This record gives sequence, C-alpha cells and structure tokens, in this order.
Amino acid sequence: MEALFYNVNTGFLEGIVRGYKAGLLTQGQYSNLTQCDTIEDFRTQLSSTDYGNFLANESLPIATSTIAERATQLLVDQFNYLKSNAVEPLNKFLEYVSYSYMIDNVILLITGTVHERDTHELLERCHPLGVFETLPALCVATNVEELYHTALVETPLAPYFRECLSANDLDDLNIEIIRNTLYKAYLEDFYSLCQEIGGPTFEIMSKVLSFEADRRTINITINSFGTDLTKEQRAKLFPTIGRLYPDGNNSLARADDVEQVRLACDYIPEYRSFFDTSSAAAAAQNSNRAGGGGGTESTSNLLGEFSFGGEQAQSIGELEDRFFVQEVHLNKQAFLQQFNYAVFYSYLRLKEQEIRTLTWIAECIAQNARDRIQDFITIF
Amino acid sequence: MATTSFKDRNLLAVIGDEDTVTGLLLAGIGHVDKQKRNFLVVDSKVQASTIEDAFEEYTQRKDIAILLINQHLAEKIRPAMDNYQQAFPAVLEIPSKDHPYGDANPSKDSVLKRVQKLFGD
Amino acid sequence: MSGTGARENIFPTRMALTNTKLRLKGAQTGHSLLAKKRDALTTRFRAILRKVDEAKRKMGRVMQLASISLAEVTYATGDISYLVQEQAKSASFKVKAKQENVSGVVLPAFEVDRVPGSDFNLTGLGRGGQQVLRSKEVYAKAVETLVELASLQTAFTILDEVIRATNRRVNAIEHVVIPRLENTIKYITSELDEMDREEFFRLKKVQGKKKRDADAAEAARRAAAEADSDVENIEIGGGGGDLLDSKDEDVIF
Repeated sequence: MEALFYNVNTGFLEGIVRGYKAGLLTQGQYSNLTQCDTIEDFRTQLSSTDYGNFLANESLPIATSTIAERATQLLVDQFNYLKSNAVEPLNKFLEYVSYSYMIDNVILLITGTVHERDTHELLERCHPLGVFETLPALCVATNVEELYHTALVETPLAPYFRECLSANDLDDLNIEIIRNTLYKAYLEDFYSLCQEIGGPTFEIMSKVLSFEADRRTINITINSFGTDLTKEQRAKLFPTIGRLYPDGNNSLARADDVEQVRLACDYIPEYRSFFDTSSAAAAAQNSNRAGGGGGTESTSNLLGEFSFGGEQAQSIGELEDRFFVQEVHLNKQAFLQQFNYAVFYSYLRLKEQEIRTLTWIAECIAQNARDRIQDFITIF
Repeated sequence: MATTSFKDRNLLAVIGDEDTVTGLLLAGIGHVDKQKRNFLVVDSKVQASTIEDAFEEYTQRKDIAILLINQHLAEKIRPAMDNYQQAFPAVLEIPSKDHPYGDANPSKDSVLKRVQKLFGD
Repeated sequence: MSGTGARENIFPTRMALTNTKLRLKGAQTGHSLLAKKRDALTTRFRAILRKVDEAKRKMGRVMQLASISLAEVTYATGDISYLVQEQAKSASFKVKAKQENVSGVVLPAFEVDRVPGSDFNLTGLGRGGQQVLRSKEVYAKAVETLVELASLQTAFTILDEVIRATNRRVNAIEHVVIPRLENTIKYITSELDEMDREEFFRLKKVQGKKKRDADAAEAARRAAAEADSDVENIEIGGGGGDLLDSKDEDVIF
C-alpha cells in the first residue's frame, strides 16, 4: 500500500539519495588515494571524484581537520537539501536522524556551562548536522539550572531530558553518563518512530538500530571496566532495544571482564565472530586491514609494551573496527530494498564512514605513516 | 638555583595546537587550579602576544618543571624563546601534528641550533 | 712600571714575595683542578649532546605515532578535544626532580611520577573508549620521552652554563691571574735586587765616607803628634827620634 504512494512523496528524493550513494568512493579510488605522497596529490586525486574541487580554495598546507570539515560540509548540504524537500513522515524521520548530532552538541554546551566557559565560542565546534535554530538560545544560560530549563523548552531533545535527567543530574553526573543516557532514550524513541512508520523502513531500521544499540551496550560494558561506573549505573545506560536485550543486556550488566562479555554475546552468531581473536578470522573479517598488524607492532616496539597489556587492547581495538565493518554492511543492505526511508539514514552513515576514511588517509599521508594507511574500511 | 626551587616543581605545562594539547591532556598532565590552567590551546585566531603572555606566565610559575611548546608556535615568539636562558622550567620544543619534524626543521630549534653549533666545531 | 704587564699593587718586601709565591702556587693548583673539572664536564657534556640530538629526533617520531593514535580516537569517537580540555582537573602525570652530581655541578633530572588518574575514564564510553585508552597510553609514553628529553636539555643548559663559567675561570687564571702573580714576583724580585744593590752601594759609600773620616782624623792626629815631636826634638836635640813614630807613606802598618 505505501509502495503505491511512496514514489509520489519520496520517489524524487530516493532517486537523489541513490545518486549520492553512487558517488561514494570505491575500492579503486581509495587505492589511488593511498598512493598519494602528499596532501596536494591527495587533493588532485579527490578532484576527479564526486568531491570535485571542494578543497580548491584552501591554501597549502591543508590540515586534515580542514579536509574533514569541508567534506562534512558537503554532506551537510546534501542532507539539508534532502530535508528541505522532504514531506511527512520522511521529514520527521530525517529530523530524528539529526537528533544524535544534537545530543552531542547539547552535551558540548553543557560541558561548557558546567565549567563556566563562554559557550558562544562553542557554537562553532558544534556538529553542523546537529545545529538547530534554537541552539544558540542555550548559550544564554549561565548556569546549569537555567540550561536545563532552556533545554526543556527550546530543544527538540526536551522529552529525553525530561524523562531521564533532572537539573541536579547535569551538575553531578559525569558528562559521558548524561550523553549516554540521552542517547539511550533517543535510540529507543527512534526505534518506536520506525515502528510507527512500519513496512520495509522498520524492517531495515530495526536491524540497523538494534545493531547500534547492541554496539553501544557492548562498548559501554567494555569501557566501564576499571572505572568508577557502578554496575547499576552501567545497566541504566543500556538501550532497551537490540538483539541482546533483555538477556544479553542482563548478563552484560554483570560482566566483569572481556571474557564474560564474549559469553554474553555468544548466542548471536554475528556478534560471536566479533570476539573471535584468532588471526584467521580477523583476516577473513576484513582483508583490507593486512597492513594494520605491522604498523601497530612497530608502534609498540618503539613505545615499549603498554602497561595494561598491549595484546588485549589490540583485540579490543579490532573489535571497534569490526563494529564499523558490520555497520557498513548493514547500511549497504538498506539500498537493496526500495520504498523505504532507511536509505536516507544509511546514506548518511556510509558517507560519514567515507569522511572518516578520507580523514584517516589524509592523516596517514600527513604523518607519513605508510604502514597504517590501509587501516580503513572500504564501502564498495 | 637553590635546592628547594626545583623540588616543588612537578607540573608540566603545554602551549600547543588543539591536537597536541588534547593528546597531552589525555596522558594526564592537565592541572586546573582555581581557573588557572597549565595548558593553552592555540588556534589560528590566537595572537602571538597571547602566546607570549602565556609563555611568560608559565615560565614565571613556581610549580612548573617542564614547559612544552609546539615548534611552530615557538617560532612565532622566537625572540622570547632565544632570550630565555633559565634552566627552570625547562622549555622543550615539540613537533606538532601539522608541522612534523622534517629533516630540515630541527635546525630551527634553539637548543638544537646550539647542539649543532657545538658539534660543528 | 716594570713594563712587562699588570702586577699587583704591593709593597715589595720579602714577606710579600713569600705570600705572592704561595698564591702563585695556589693559582697553579687551582688551574689544574679547574682544568680537570672542565674536562670531566666536557666529557659529560658531549655525551649529553649526543643524547639530546638522538632524543630530539626520536621525539619527532614518537609524537607522530601519538598523533596517529589520536587520529584513531577521532576516527572512532569524533572530536573529543573540548571535552578533554574541560575535564582536566588535576594532573595525574607529574614529574619529580632529583639531583645528580657531576664534578660538583648539581644536575637536575626529571623523573616521571604517575598516579592513576580517573579524569577521562568515561570518555568515549559509548564509542571508541578503547581507542581513547590506547591513545592515553601512547601519549603517556610519548610524554615520558619528552620528560627524558627535558632532563637532558636542562642538563645541557646547565652544563653549558657551568662549562662556560669554568672555562672563563680557567682562562682567567691562566691568562690573567698567573701572569699577574708572576709579574708581581718578578717585580718584587727586581725591586729587592735593586734594593740590594742600593744597599751595597750605600754601604760602600758609608765605608768610603768612614775611611775618609778616619783618614782625616788620622791626619789631624798626626799633625798634632808632629807638632809635639818638634817641640821634643827641639828640646832633646832634634832628629834621630823614634822611627816608628814617624808615619811612612809607603808603609801601611
């Protein structure tokens, strides 16, 4: 039924976004980029892609942060174009997509306010996707109490704030806990929105969001080892969606080390392989990371063995990479179906990944870290 | 220098670009005491005079043992750097992400310059 | 005055000569001691020089690796710089100064004094926490290198200063103090010689004068005696008197 009207409202935009998607860099283009010796070469290579002359007006030497900034700006322009042409309910969907960036921005402002900094300067640091009209209004607040109330009135994030936090929490809790609390509420809300939209959108988005939720759950668990985050607090940050919920979440809430995390995730086949530390599995997982081992090895040689055991950190570092690979994989699947909104979300995610990759390559070129330059995830 | 003068010095201070400062803070050198920080982030908007003031402040402070400064920033306040002869705090020029140590660059370093001069003869 | 160089303004006496000679001896001992110190310091200095050079180059590489690890964090977590800047509270990475003694020069050396801090433990909680942790370690290692380099550099600066001072002293002793003392000794000696000669001459003069006086007295006495004997000769019958009485010019006795 919705397929019938889908094209009336969204057909044009879907076409656009699929066109954008076709412009994502491919393996061949990446390998060209990795051959570059200088940032200037890098720029020349990029000008033959969809990026065009986006760096043409930058004076040399170009900082890697500038590249990331410009590339993000392109993405933001595309996103804004989509958003301004969208009608309900896609409009709302895209709105939700940008909420995650808003959370980061608001968190940034909260940090500034808590430490009594001039928050106006911070506006520049905000992620452009998460900028909303009333964001500058938050800068008016001079203390946390005011900020909390302004956030309740002025921001689209108000429901998350109202449900999860009180004004005192902003002052007392660690900023990361606030961030993750908000994010949890957001994920759950987004999930229910997709449920409302239903159809293939929900079908795909539920997978993507579940994965995102699980990823956060696992990450929070692993990262909270050895910190003063209590297990109760930890459990509160877990989103109540995802494939690990509720059983996996419960066991993760009690986990004390990586091994227990592995056991908790063991019953989901896709996640099981994440913790598979044998080299063969790692090689199969992402063949393009071949250069990675060598690079980090020389790192640890030069810096001496890390006190907390380099090996474990190494495998966990890879875990993060596998998450990225899996995310890219899921997002790519979104394009296999028509008549859904998930493509918009997925495109954004893929493009973000691409920007990260570009920044990484540029960074490696700038730092002359040839051995690490292959450590990225290609999309196509 | 009296014996006590460097016993109390146990902090590191840094004047650098965003990435350098962030990294060093991650390592745990950051110390904020009554709104007085021991680090200064310098971006393109920061004037050379601000850097110089910070340099003055950190070199005058009694609790700083080592002052790290990005080389390209040290370049901006080179006269002040060259005039600085005290042993404490030790001023150390470090490379930054966007201005790595090339083969030619070390010669800019005021200490390395002296090192090379001494090696030369 | 003596024209051969500066000397101390001193009264040329034997006492002063002895003193000056002692001082010269002292200066020479001091010179050789200082020269030895200088050599020891220079050896040390050369070693440090080499190390500084090495460490500076190593630092370039280490900092690059650290930047890469920070890039990894940015890759996984996004921009965390502001959060990190705001969350910094108290230093967990400090240094301790200790001293080392090289030929009487106190060289400070910095030692890393790290206490486990919890400032950024939760940074990247939802994403990239492990990268943050790793970056923390890499940077901590990098800072250790920096601290090491700072110790070397401080030692370098201090040693440089001390060696210069020592060199100045060695040169001052060698080229100013010792020549001056030597000049002084020369001056005193020459003055003393001069005085000796003067004294001798004076004695000669005194002797001469004494002799002249004695001669005059003798002549006067003889004249008086002759006058007496004339009277006697006249009285006794003149001539043929005591031969010894008359002074013969050729006879000394």
